[in-house]
Amino acid sequence: MVKQGVEPDELTRPFWQAANESRLVIQNCNACDRLQHPPEPICRQCGSGETLDWVQMSGKGKIYNYGVVHDCPVSLLQDDQPFNVAVIMLDEDPGIQMYSHLPGVSVDEVPVGGNVEIVFEVSANGQKIPEWKAVE
Amino acid sequence: MTTKNAPTSMYRSEEGLGVWEHRGKVAAVGVGHSPTARRWDERPETSVGAWSILALRRAMEDAGVSPDQVDGLVIVPVTTTGAFWPDDKPLPMEAINAFNQTSDPLDGVAKLSDEWLLKNMPELTNVRYSAYGPVCMSNALNVASQAVGDGLTHTCLVLKAWHNLEGRYYQGGKNAANSTDGTSAIKNIWGAPASFGTALQFAEYCSKYGKTHDMMAPFMSNSRRNGLMFPEGYWAQHRPEELTAEDYQLARWIAKPANLFDNDIPITVAAAYLFTTAERAKDLKQKPVYIMNHVSSETKPRSMTPTLDEVEADTARTGRMIYEGAGITADDLSFENMYDGFTLFHQFHLEGLGYRGIKFGEALDFYQTDISIEGPNPVSPSGGNIGSGRSRFWMHTDCIQQLQGRAGPRQITGVKPEIAVSGGPMPLGGNYTVWSATPD
Amino acid sequence: MAILISFDIDGTLEVGDPPGVVTMDMVRIARKKGFLTGSCSDRPMSTQRAIWNQHGIEFDFVCYKHMLPELKKNFEADGYCHVGDRDDLDRKYALRAGFEFMWPDEAAEKDWFSSDL
Repeated sequence: MVKQGVEPDELTRPFWQAANESRLVIQNCNACDRLQHPPEPICRQCGSGETLDWVQMSGKGKIYNYGVVHDCPVSLLQDDQPFNVAVIMLDEDPGIQMYSHLPGVSVDEVPVGGNVEIVFEVSANGQKIPEWKAVE
Repeated sequence: MTTKNAPTSMYRSEEGLGVWEHRGKVAAVGVGHSPTARRWDERPETSVGAWSILALRRAMEDAGVSPDQVDGLVIVPVTTTGAFWPDDKPLPMEAINAFNQTSDPLDGVAKLSDEWLLKNMPELTNVRYSAYGPVCMSNALNVASQAVGDGLTHTCLVLKAWHNLEGRYYQGGKNAANSTDGTSAIKNIWGAPASFGTALQFAEYCSKYGKTHDMMAPFMSNSRRNGLMFPEGYWAQHRPEELTAEDYQLARWIAKPANLFDNDIPITVAAAYLFTTAERAKDLKQKPVYIMNHVSSETKPRSMTPTLDEVEADTARTGRMIYEGAGITADDLSFENMYDGFTLFHQFHLEGLGYRGIKFGEALDFYQTDISIEGPNPVSPSGGNIGSGRSRFWMHTDCIQQLQGRAGPRQITGVKPEIAVSGGPMPLGGNYTVWSATPD
Repeated sequence: MAILISFDIDGTLEVGDPPGVVTMDMVRIARKKGFLTGSCSDRPMSTQRAIWNQHGIEFDFVCYKHMLPELKKNFEADGYCHVGDRDDLDRKYALRAGFEFMWPDEAAEKDWFSSDL
């Protein structure tokens, strides 16, 4: 299953650069000590654009919920249907979610609440993408 | 006239604001609808611009107002969420050249500006106020209500139009490319369709409260039944098909647990309303429908997609704001017409309202009771988007028509139509209007 | 035994929205020749039945696209063919279910639907 390639833009460049180094970073407001994802130009809490930084995560999380995609809008993924899309909560902050195809997990057999660890997959243009694998 | 989105100061998005200062002083007095079509056939006379003009003219005619009496225009400038003119497709010059143009060739074809409308509606000679209510008719209604109340406009047209093109909705463009920009990629490269977030919330709901997807069937059948009694709607006009429980329950998944029929069908259509002051409304053709309150939720999820907890907290908050500003309680609602574009979130709206006393986790059980227009607890008498296609305004038209006694075969009979609420789209974030048959 | 043919409706059959090139007469001819026929569409199943009834054409089944594997299990036939106009829906589901797939204009040229043969 190969995802679309990514052309990093100014806002998300640190995220995608870190991914290419097999690191997960999430945007953090240093003033509020608050993570936010997806990244935004300003802190959603205090509104400042000056206090945002990127913080490395452990790469550990839990599966919060999932759905099974049978009719997907992205052309590159249509031959892989049906597939899982899970919502992962990071151990550092369960309020921070990421999506995952949960490589290695059978369709519709997702262990909700289970632990996951980050892995990095190569996308269609060589950009690495954070993914998550279920672990014991 | 450089038109911008209406300022945030026009929206009522906090608790504790008390009763709306213009409660009962603004009224809806005219409704106009265009025909519907599944997709645009690229003829000038069926373009989104042409049908917008038609809807506006019909609204004025319905109200008995001459165009020169209109001094305000509130529209939604975006006419799609998923049908974009492909970059490599030649522009539809016949349709573009059939009208007076703006600097954007797609204006009137795949988007809409007030400038385009005013250039092509020379009869609107006195428009002094113009604003955009972005995203939805629900938003535009809030802006128009506040604008009339504030005296920025006295007789205001409100418009939302949709276009749909060949090809599948949301497909093409960025989704068809081999790569995408970094910001879009954060969410989109996992290929979750539009109904995915709602599907997740519904899955969590079923797990938490011990409910099943099959329990949605009566709501679906009821909505389609009501929609088939909406002559302005797509299904009634083109495909008068009922939706049985079997039809619904066996349909293919889009993003399990959201199936094909849990997603509304994209169409081309336009609707317009005419708002004026309650004072002026008394002398016009139709029975006025008074606006008692308008409310906005600007809540965003903490992260990628709202959790059920976030949905329940925000729908409850929205419910409180709706009642506070209108000076009513849930017991005062005759009926509700909350949004249903993804069917699986209508129940969140109902529970947030505490409609007929239902609490969180009870809406699917409520669907198994009499929710028909003939019963004491009508649910979505408009039929919503499920009943009539993707417009996000059937709910508002129905509120007006029900309270005027003009809903035809769809007229609710099990309860006297006195006060109603409509709005959306999403349970987290949205705009809502409280309507009343009387100003107090 | 016979060959089973499932028809998509919209974009395939003349009664579809948009109309396709496969006419209801073609279906009648196929049935006369002993083919098993029915529809496999995104239209509600009750609507699919109503369409066949409205045109006085008997049908052996109606189903949704994802039900083709079940259809194959339920009907013993010499062959299975789905006629449809969408690559992402008709062709994909057909091939996945082990059906032969035909575009509507290919079907229209097929002798199955010709009264001359």
